[in-house]
Amino acid sequence: MITALAFLALGLYLAASAWRLPEGPGAFPGAIGAAMALLSLPAFRDRGSGGFRVENSRTIAATLALTVLYLLVWGTGAFALKTALYLVLLLRLYGQRWRTAVTVAVVMTAAVTLGFQYGLRLTLE
Amino acid sequence: MHPDWMAGMLAVLDWRVLSFLGAGVVLGAIFGALPGLTAAMGIAVLTPLTFWVSAEQGLAMLLGIYCGAIPGGGITAILVNVPGTPASIATTWDGYPLAQQGGAGLALGFNALVSGFGQLASIAFLAVAAFPIAEFALRFGPAEYFGLTLFGLSMMAGVSGRRVVQGVLAGLLGLALSTVGLDPLTAYPRYTFGRSEFLDGISFIPVMIGLFGTGEVLAQIAERHGKLQAPPEALGRIWPNRAEWKQVAPSSLAATGIGVIVGAIPAAGGDIASVISWEQARRLSRRQEDFGKGSIEGLAATCASCNAVIGGAMTSMLTLGIPGDGPTAVLIGALLIHGIQPGPMLFRNNGDLVWTIVYLLALASLLMVGIGLAASRPLARMLRIPDPWLWTGVLLFGIVGSYALNNAVSDVWVMLAAGVFGFLARRAAMPLGPLVLGLILGPLMESNLRRALILSRGHWGGVLGRPIVVFFLLATALSLLWPLWQSRRPAGRTGTP
Repeated sequence: MITALAFLALGLYLAASAWRLPEGPGAFPGAIGAAMALLSLPAFRDRGSGGFRVENSRTIAATLALTVLYLLVWGTGAFALKTALYLVLLLRLYGQRWRTAVTVAVVMTAAVTLGFQYGLRLTLE
Repeated sequence: MHPDWMAGMLAVLDWRVLSFLGAGVVLGAIFGALPGLTAAMGIAVLTPLTFWVSAEQGLAMLLGIYCGAIPGGGITAILVNVPGTPASIATTWDGYPLAQQGGAGLALGFNALVSGFGQLASIAFLAVAAFPIAEFALRFGPAEYFGLTLFGLSMMAGVSGRRVVQGVLAGLLGLALSTVGLDPLTAYPRYTFGRSEFLDGISFIPVMIGLFGTGEVLAQIAERHGKLQAPPEALGRIWPNRAEWKQVAPSSLAATGIGVIVGAIPAAGGDIASVISWEQARRLSRRQEDFGKGSIEGLAATCASCNAVIGGAMTSMLTLGIPGDGPTAVLIGALLIHGIQPGPMLFRNNGDLVWTIVYLLALASLLMVGIGLAASRPLARMLRIPDPWLWTGVLLFGIVGSYALNNAVSDVWVMLAAGVFGFLARRAAMPLGPLVLGLILGPLMESNLRRALILSRGHWGGVLGRPIVVFFLLATALSLLWPLWQSRRPAGRTGTP
């Protein structure tokens, strides 16, 4: 149901917004939007799209929240420190002990920093 | 001036190219052997590492990953009954029972040798067939290309199994995403929401990293509860004897042919090829009762076919610009970043590069056979790496790799959004292949259709009435109706475990 609703809404949005585009650039997205809206209708009958259960949802939500936070502070300096902290928190979240989490995080951060920042000269700061 | 085949070989005989190839095969074998890490994910996540090297070196690494990952997946399938990649699902059916009966070494030997045979035979097909196909494709105008892309997109339904509607919806989403950015003909901005980052469209590589990397990690966090069982300590002999070779030869040859054909079909990959080949080998075998219980014929058939997909998929990708399977879909994005546009013009303008690709694939296959025979045991030990280490590694590599594309955080946000979508799509059992296909083929389809309509002065008859277009339209109708007909049939009896 949720999947079908999402595709119906997206299809209608695409078809409606294509009207505001000039005829050439608007025709293709308009046709895709219409097809998407039409095909979402049989998807309402599909029991398989009637919702799903997400196990470990708190762990997934926390993973995404940490990643969003990490991206929000991206480019503010101290790449290695922020990255190591991000990885330690993730590893703790996945049940690793403090000592293991810190060791793995430091090794991974060092590998990425050396590889990308110094080896490939990518600006990560 | 050297002929193309020789110039292509000279490019390969560079120690740096060979080093990247070796690294690619090893990384591919590791990605393949670790459950949840696939060939497509390996290529997507490691493509950013190739931005700083020449096209030949980058290609060597990515093709090495492709050739290494599929047999690598077979190792896990045989030792712990978990397919390392989707292509090795059917390898578990006979590989694991054979390993449990004390034949783990023999099963790993077949996995390395028959996989190598399947890859090399399909690469020979690529070398022989690709140039004539590309020559024929040079006759294609915009109308024919529209027909071809339409046929390619219709395979969205074919690869979606019984979830045809979900598959087509995912494909339409891919097409919708492909319209973001400047219109290909008039440069009119579409769906950019006023942001300059989207004027060039949605970056393909971050979407791939998100769908196949981050999305898979999130799905594994949600799904995995227990630990993998330990692989057997004693492997036993690895080399098959003459009688065993004689027994598996017919099924391996037939499976190689099936693999090449399935690989050449857009979006159909090793998972489909190996299931078809296993079923075919069982039907033709004198020892049908052994299938599913450790049959070496069944094992060889699945190994040969899922690896023979490589040559078929590369043929479609290089000659027509249409990916034959998931990894080649990601490879197209990597090739474009290196300034290589797959399609018939590649054969006319860069014939030497095509030969370089052929030689690299062949060398990668030979290297993989060596690694499969010599390093299956250390690869099996890698199964003991804790999942959280892999998850955090893939997440971090995905973030830094997406950023490395354009030094833009917006690409990382796109990757994260694609990852969340990939996770939700997996939970809703929505196939991701069609989405990738739509994203790749969308711009080709739209621009060729509009060019064809301009050339025929707006008459649809002038576009759809051309003989090759009619052929593709009929093939499209068949590929859409066949799965619908299949889905209405009651499930037939097969011998699949």
